[in-house]
Amino acid sequence: MAQKSIVNESRDIERAVTLINLGARLQVLESETSLSYERLLRLYKEVAGKSPSKGQLPFSTDWFLTWQPNIHASLFANIHEYLAKSSAMDDIDTVIKAYQLYMEQMQASEVEPLLTFTRAWRMVKFVDNNMLTMTKCCQCGGNFITEPYEIPRNFVCGLCNPPARAGKGQAAGSLKLQ
Amino acid sequence: MNNEQLLAEIREANLTYLMLAQTLIRSDKPAALFRLGLTEEAADLLAALSPAQVMKLASGNMLLCRFRVDEDMVWNLLTNHKPGKVANDTTSRLHANILMAGRVAEAM
Repeated sequence: MAQKSIVNESRDIERAVTLINLGARLQVLESETSLSYERLLRLYKEVAGKSPSKGQLPFSTDWFLTWQPNIHASLFANIHEYLAKSSAMDDIDTVIKAYQLYMEQMQASEVEPLLTFTRAWRMVKFVDNNMLTMTKCCQCGGNFITEPYEIPRNFVCGLCNPPARAGKGQAAGSLKLQ
Repeated sequence: MNNEQLLAEIREANLTYLMLAQTLIRSDKPAALFRLGLTEEAADLLAALSPAQVMKLASGNMLLCRFRVDEDMVWNLLTNHKPGKVANDTTSRLHANILMAGRVAEAM
């Protein structure tokens, strides 16, 4: 941006506050707003009341492909796609809205929301860059997050055909099969 | 229940639906499109209706809202009538949610 606009800046700050409240990491804020690192850091401390966590973002697509995370990721991806198609918003606003709807659904069904905002945002980037894609399950017809080279003709999702050890976890709020 | 009562009930349901839809659309349109399963044009139209128009629209012999799932797969998942490999209520609900969100996205 060549010229600094106060209106844009106020919109950026508002957006950043929403993102921080949703639990976004500092890297997300840096990439989605044009505010400087120092200001974001101050804002983060003010809103969250603590320093942001340090370190790199998770960079692997593997997490999204394991059984339970994949269900969460696919639900989010479907909501995101719906919103992206139905209304014209800025990309980041679509992600925010989709994440809020996802969280709502998790609360309604009393499932631990495994997908954090940063992960969800990351996943949208992965899909945009063809590192992940949505493939239709040949049994239920739902769209699920998969690797880009999954063969669509034979793809069966983790809910139609759960893997052997799926749903055995004892953690509260995790998905069960029985 | 006689016919008059039936019509009154239908009007009531229509009115509730229309008013809820208007509130949803006016407070947060993108989320409302997702919740209601409407297109943006339809939502704009609904939001612009005056109370008098809503009243007129609501009174008729037809319900204005209809089911958004018209498929056995989703029904079975929601009602758990035909449990497949997954017999857990919450998990099949999530499955149904994935399918429902995906279907409408495909239709657009």
